[in-house]
Amino acid sequence: MEKESRPSWEQPAQFVLACVSYAVGLGNVWRFPYLCQMHGGGGFLIPYLIMLVLEGVPLFYMELAVGQKMRLGSIGAWSAISPYLGGVGIASVVASIYLCLYYNVINAWSFWYLFHSFQEVLPWAECPLNSNHTGYLDECRKATATQYFFYRETLNITSAISDGGGVHVGQALCLLLAWMVVYLCIIRGIASTGKVVYFTATFPYLVLFVYLIRGLTLHGALNGLKYMFTPKLEQLANPTTWINAATQIFYSLGLGFGSLIAFASYNHHNNNFERQAIAVSLINSSTSIFACIVTFSIYGFKATLNYESCLERVKLLLLNTFSLAEDTINVDNITYWITELNKTHPNQFADLLPKLESCDLEAELDTAVEGTGLAFIVYTEAIKNMPLPQLWSVLYFFMLLLLGLGSMLGNVTAVTTPLRDLRFVTHYLSNETTNGLVCLFCLVLGLGFTTRSGNYWLTMFNDYGATFALLLIVLIEIISVCYIYGLEQFAKDIEDMIGHRPNWYWKIVWAIVSPLIIIMLFIFYIINYIMGGTPTYQAWDKDLGQSVTTPYPPYAQAFIILLLVSSIICIPLSALYTYCNRQRPESTISV
Amino acid sequence: MFPRLHFAVCFTAVLGPTLVHTLCPDTADGYKVRLSIKTALGDDAYKWDESEMFLFRATLAFAMRKYNQKPYEVSDVLVCNETQRVSFWFVVTDPENTSELISGKDVERAVRISRNRINNAFLLTDETLEFLNIPPTLAVPAESGTPPWLIVFGVVIGVVGVGIIALLISSFIQKRRKKGVTEGEEEDCEEEACDKGNGVSHPVEEGADGVNRGFVGDIPFTKL
Repeated sequence: MEKESRPSWEQPAQFVLACVSYAVGLGNVWRFPYLCQMHGGGGFLIPYLIMLVLEGVPLFYMELAVGQKMRLGSIGAWSAISPYLGGVGIASVVASIYLCLYYNVINAWSFWYLFHSFQEVLPWAECPLNSNHTGYLDECRKATATQYFFYRETLNITSAISDGGGVHVGQALCLLLAWMVVYLCIIRGIASTGKVVYFTATFPYLVLFVYLIRGLTLHGALNGLKYMFTPKLEQLANPTTWINAATQIFYSLGLGFGSLIAFASYNHHNNNFERQAIAVSLINSSTSIFACIVTFSIYGFKATLNYESCLERVKLLLLNTFSLAEDTINVDNITYWITELNKTHPNQFADLLPKLESCDLEAELDTAVEGTGLAFIVYTEAIKNMPLPQLWSVLYFFMLLLLGLGSMLGNVTAVTTPLRDLRFVTHYLSNETTNGLVCLFCLVLGLGFTTRSGNYWLTMFNDYGATFALLLIVLIEIISVCYIYGLEQFAKDIEDMIGHRPNWYWKIVWAIVSPLIIIMLFIFYIINYIMGGTPTYQAWDKDLGQSVTTPYPPYAQAFIILLLVSSIICIPLSALYTYCNRQRPESTISV
Repeated sequence: MFPRLHFAVCFTAVLGPTLVHTLCPDTADGYKVRLSIKTALGDDAYKWDESEMFLFRATLAFAMRKYNQKPYEVSDVLVCNETQRVSFWFVVTDPENTSELISGKDVERAVRISRNRINNAFLLTDETLEFLNIPPTLAVPAESGTPPWLIVFGVVIGVVGVGIIALLISSFIQKRRKKGVTEGEEEDCEEEACDKGNGVSHPVEEGADGVNRGFVGDIPFTKL
């Protein structure tokens, strides 16, 4: 019987597009613009690009090299580097499983919003009416219509993580659909993935480009862009800026999950991955910057809109209180009138003062949002004010879907590839069955995130599930490649594959610079965790109509520690297991 | 008779303004109205003048008539404290007894019932023609039977489901076919006793006389 050879990408382009699709994900759209805003606009690009060169590209290159050389998933690859390091691969797989569980729930939300865009009036454009139709629902009035739609209609969120609530049927259905789509894309392994990535890697760029044009032509977009591009260079002195730049590069490229190793393991032995690694890293960073421009035009539009509504409200208040004719006050002379009325009617004005809002465009632009808040609340708020909002909404959520799906393909491949490397799995189960079982497993567990308190658990997984483990995994990876496997041996392997040795720059960065940066991030993370006191989360208070910072209950804190430790513990446990196996005298050795 | 009537008319004419001063503004039974015509209509805004005020009083009288069918007249709607904002107070007197005011609650209900008609008479909306302290009745959005998102969801999940089943079936058929071909090859080999031990095996050629022709060329050279 013929032994099945390892499947491989039909074209090298499929591999590159798969890596691009994996690396370019939701984080490029919702995390990078936030960091840009927090750390001084255009000035943030300096630490970002420096970290890309010192940390991002070298580590990306290393993972691709390991995968292509060993031609195995993460567990097999690291076991081949050193038998004691199989645990590193297992830790990667565990981290990938955590990510798979919750990341697809975000895709489910994208589906939900996408389907709700096919309505004449977007459901997040207006508040629903209260029971006697005299006004809007309280919760909706205190928050905004978009926040209400997200927290109440989409999530039906409870007020605390301990308050379980049932499963939200709409979310569960969307999660089922999301997993079915993922299964459809990976059903035959990379034979199907390779074809899907042509679309998932390229279409988001088309949408981003269309949005760029739309965004730049919106009223007030230039305010946002000016705000972004004026660098506040004093932020460069803040160490947090550099830490955040390094962290963003690290997570944005998706290092440590084993997805890159899995993708590269299907390459031909002589594939020139050096050029591809540089290309993909550069594409990833450029996409972040591109998305930043789009986001800041939208920010500018939204901030200008809010500022002008604020001015309108102040004008109305003045007109109504002092019964002036409608056209006496307009946006230009409002400040003049405020001083004038203060002089002429001091008492009345004093009564008015608590209700008088101060409208500040800078303050509006300063409100930095990241994560799901940016994607599902701020953007939808801006979209509902555009002409033809249904079209823009559909385009936007379709793009989010493709970005999330592309990353999911990498994550699931990181789990299925090591599984398929196991002999007994390949013998008893077909490719389709293995992939189906992985998807089913993740779907069933992922239903926990569709409960009413699911968003809180999701945030917990997002913050603690993989972040710490990845730093440790990649640190051990780079140290073992450089010092346990040997830098010389590694360089020889690369020469064997692509024809020339990596030059001195790569060697220095691998051996010294990148490990130092990761150790620094690691220490910073630990210090932050310890000094942060009780971990807290943002709970939605429906009476106040906003999020309040609440500490995690004790069992949740214990779960956080479980999450942090569970993937890392595989490394020493597996090394111990291998060590014990080797110590036991072999009874099968015969003459 | 004629002088008495004349006297009666004079009397109400004298009494009219005094009535306005005492009864309006009556914060219990009266309401403040505020119009924002320029905000609503921009360049098409009309000027607020006596005729517009007359229309307002007539519309309000209409609303009162619709509410309790009493014969209200324009003179039953009293207006005061007009400002440049275009805001004013009004009260409604009982047509049968002009010194009595209609209670605020009744006025409120009447306005709420006919709010749409009142708004349309002035080309304004609930936000631009405000009756302070009378909450507007908001239009209930049209509710469809099946939520539209379910329809789109159904279509998409159907397509994806069909795609998955199609791919699974085609994989199954391919495997069947491949298994059939390899079984066929193995059977061929057994019949003609080909030996794969050395690696390459040629399909054995059989001539008509059953001699293995693969070695025909070699026979002259094989020395025994």
